Amino acid sequence: MAEPRTAGTATARSRRKSVDIYAPQWRNFLFVAPYLTIFATLLVFPLFWGIWLSFHKADTFSSGRFVGLDNYFRLFRDPIFMQSIWNTFYFVFLTVPALALIGLFLALCLNRRTRSAAVLRALFFSSSVLSVTIVTLIWRIVFIPDLGLLSMVYGLFGAQAPAFLADPHLAMIGIAIATVWWCIGLPMMLFLSALQQIPQDIYEAAALDNANRWQTLWSITLPSIKRTFILVIIIQIVLQFQLFGQAWLMTRGGPNNLTKPIVLYIYNTAFQRWDIGLGAAASEILFLLILIAAMAQYLVTRRKADA
Amino acid sequence: MTASIDINKVTKRFGSLTVLDELSLSIPANEFVVFLGPSGCGKSTLLRMIAGLESVDSGEILINGERIDDQPPGQRGVAMVFQSYALYPHMTVRDNMAFGLKNISVDRAVIEARIAEAARMLEIGHLLDRKPGQLSGGQRQRVAIGRAVVKEPKAFLFDEPLSNLDAALRTRTRIELAQLHQRLKSTMIFVTHDQIEAMTLADRIVVMNNRKIEQIGAPMEIYNRPASRFVAGFVGAPAMNFLPVTIRENAGFVAATTGAGLELTTAIPTSGLPDGPFELGIRSEHVRITPPTANAAEGVVDVLERLGERTLVYVRLGDGQQIVGSDSGDSRVAVGDRVGLAFEGAKAHLFDASGRAWHGGEAGHG
Amino acid sequence: MASHNSEIIGRSFGDRVLFGLVILLALVMAGPVLYVIALSLKDNKELMVDPHSVFHMPYTIKNYIDTIGTSNVFSWVFNSIIVAGGLTVFTLILSSLAGYGFARLNFPGRAVLFVIVLLGLAVPEQAVLIARHQIFSWLGLHNSYPGLILPGLSSAFGVFLMTQYFRAIPKELDEAAILDNASRFRVFWKVLLPLTVPAQATLGIFTFLGAWNDYFWPLISATKKEMFTLTVGIASTQMNFAQSQGIGFLMAQAVFAGAPILIIYLFFQKYIVTAVSGAAVR
Repeated sequence: MAEPRTAGTATARSRRKSVDIYAPQWRNFLFVAPYLTIFATLLVFPLFWGIWLSFHKADTFSSGRFVGLDNYFRLFRDPIFMQSIWNTFYFVFLTVPALALIGLFLALCLNRRTRSAAVLRALFFSSSVLSVTIVTLIWRIVFIPDLGLLSMVYGLFGAQAPAFLADPHLAMIGIAIATVWWCIGLPMMLFLSALQQIPQDIYEAAALDNANRWQTLWSITLPSIKRTFILVIIIQIVLQFQLFGQAWLMTRGGPNNLTKPIVLYIYNTAFQRWDIGLGAAASEILFLLILIAAMAQYLVTRRKADA
Repeated sequence: MTASIDINKVTKRFGSLTVLDELSLSIPANEFVVFLGPSGCGKSTLLRMIAGLESVDSGEILINGERIDDQPPGQRGVAMVFQSYALYPHMTVRDNMAFGLKNISVDRAVIEARIAEAARMLEIGHLLDRKPGQLSGGQRQRVAIGRAVVKEPKAFLFDEPLSNLDAALRTRTRIELAQLHQRLKSTMIFVTHDQIEAMTLADRIVVMNNRKIEQIGAPMEIYNRPASRFVAGFVGAPAMNFLPVTIRENAGFVAATTGAGLELTTAIPTSGLPDGPFELGIRSEHVRITPPTANAAEGVVDVLERLGERTLVYVRLGDGQQIVGSDSGDSRVAVGDRVGLAFEGAKAHLFDASGRAWHGGEAGHG
Repeated sequence: MASHNSEIIGRSFGDRVLFGLVILLALVMAGPVLYVIALSLKDNKELMVDPHSVFHMPYTIKNYIDTIGTSNVFSWVFNSIIVAGGLTVFTLILSSLAGYGFARLNFPGRAVLFVIVLLGLAVPEQAVLIARHQIFSWLGLHNSYPGLILPGLSSAFGVFLMTQYFRAIPKELDEAAILDNASRFRVFWKVLLPLTVPAQATLGIFTFLGAWNDYFWPLISATKKEMFTLTVGIASTQMNFAQSQGIGFLMAQAVFAGAPILIIYLFFQKYIVTAVSGAAVR
């Protein structure tokens, strides 16, 4: 297992070069080569191939005829696509603030070393490990008329539960509720770890300054986790922008396309109608929207590193 | 096993910064050499170049006359003890020591025998099945040395190995290292910024500063006849006193006059001296505290440091200069006292404007 | 931690309101799951007659017996184990190798390549899905295990995480090993890799969970029923409640599918929470 004498072969008979164990060497490339091969063929190439496809009238196997920006024009003339963009933003608006605020609330309440707090933390995070299939199944059972849990609860008060997933006004809200239920664990945990990084002596100093609990919360705790709050918001925007499973499995995008997000539009277009070029164009628009949020995340985390 | 090491006109650059400039050094077999210098002087870099962890930009390094800087680190036959010890945390002490031998397919029985021998010598036999995380700092240190010993290297390289130990342990380990050297009869290079470690361990000290070697010599030679003002100031505690002086000739020897008007007759010949300005250097043990006298060498005691066997007295002279002198261990002097200073002029050194040192003929025997 | 934080819920009236709110939210979390479990234990005919019978005896495990006896759920679980397990193993291997390479070794173009890999973190799956689907069609990889595993291997996250972790290990360990005549691969394999176990655990859990719960790619790649993963398989049987073999049977299948991951979560809760939230902020 000895190091081969690379220097010996480098220069022939003349003065041999001294060994530099930190010099760039091609054989070191072998360590990164396996990953980079997959990275190049399954991420970099598809990324550019996707852009290429978006300019073509493509089908499953080939890129077909070049059509320029026609796919993009078709998208913006398609009321269902415009509706899906609106739906996506509406969904993000429904879920992200709720996730951030409920997550923060739970973190503040459960940031204790008691056993009950630990159990509750575990409970609130547990839904996060379930798959979207199970989560949507659970919530369809909750929302289902007559047999559903919601109907049972309304029944206790002698009321009739609304048909959440069938009602045009409520369907997206129903999906949002299931999503918040599914995703609440992560923001809570992020807030908890931020809270635990606040130095204890600040609280001791505040106590010496006779600050009461709410003053401490407003003037010390919340300002200390401001950046985490922004980070949680951005992470959740990126995640929730990619809504697909919940909408597909709970409502199929209905009623009347009112719960169809961009990703579902892409799925319908590319993998059900096999209009690959149009689907690719829609993907690029989604990519652009997510990239903006990802860049914001990069800037926030970077500022954190500088501080 | 032992070996001589030759360093020929070695240069090292980090980007545009030159850290070692055409440095040459010969280390005979069996010698214990200490590279001494302030941090950033290039002493660790030089050690790492010998080990093969840094490349050599020009020049060459030879072991037993054979060029080795073109060989990979593992094949140079040297073993290194790192400042952080760099023990493999997930391996037991035994596996730490065996790793290097397994890599070159040394026979199992030989490995076991060498580990047993090293463990006995370093008294770490009872630790062999522990992991580094379960050891104290001193024990880790021994294991790191043991890992080097089992390789039976031609030369040992120590990179500030004592700096992570507490003071008492450091002293003890120092003595053990000296014993280890006597027993192994191996060439050892030891890098430190601690001049006491250098003085106590070295056969020869290599004082380095600012890309080059300032002086090479036996400890007492370095101490008594420092080659430059830098060496004079760096070696010895407390640091040598330096006084700006003007000089004149007195029967072939230098007579130096301090700013405060005190004239000292030295044992330094005037022949060959460049033009001024000059600084006079004198160690604290050659400045004795006397009752106040009428002459110029007197001042007020600023600080006392009682070391037990002697007392260091920091005296503020009339011209504001501070001089460290020494008095007996049971000195009655108190802070604020007026005291006189008796300089042993024959032990003084003179430094010219370039920093070069001039000594009296007898200073070496002081 | 904080004694002061912990007082946010205390004894005053406001505190009781907060406490009540937390309990209410906890009920919202647990309620639906318990309801689904209760339904899974009910005989279908009884439910048809009286939906409220879900709240009382008699309960039966008949639905579970039916699930085990009749459905494809076992083959789906098997597929999910192969896919999630395979993806996890290969991700750990590739990410460790590349992480060591980027953190410790020098090769031409290292800095540029690493930046490109980092940029890969910003690419969402949807931006490459269609092209990937086409490529896999060319290669005939749909409805195969490689077809389900390969796309996940391109994720840059593992490489990023492992690179960071390798960078935090003192360089002297490598140097000591090199002086000990170890080759670069041996330094990696014998000295550094054993020290990355915590990072491997984080990455492994994160990758496994992600793959186990992935829905979109298996949905478009595994179109044959025998190649369905658990998520796709369960979804395929559950779309239409009305045409099914009964609510109780469906719920039993769902519980059967969801239970393993929940049980694993209960056992490795601490690690999973650290892994998932640690992964998110990086």
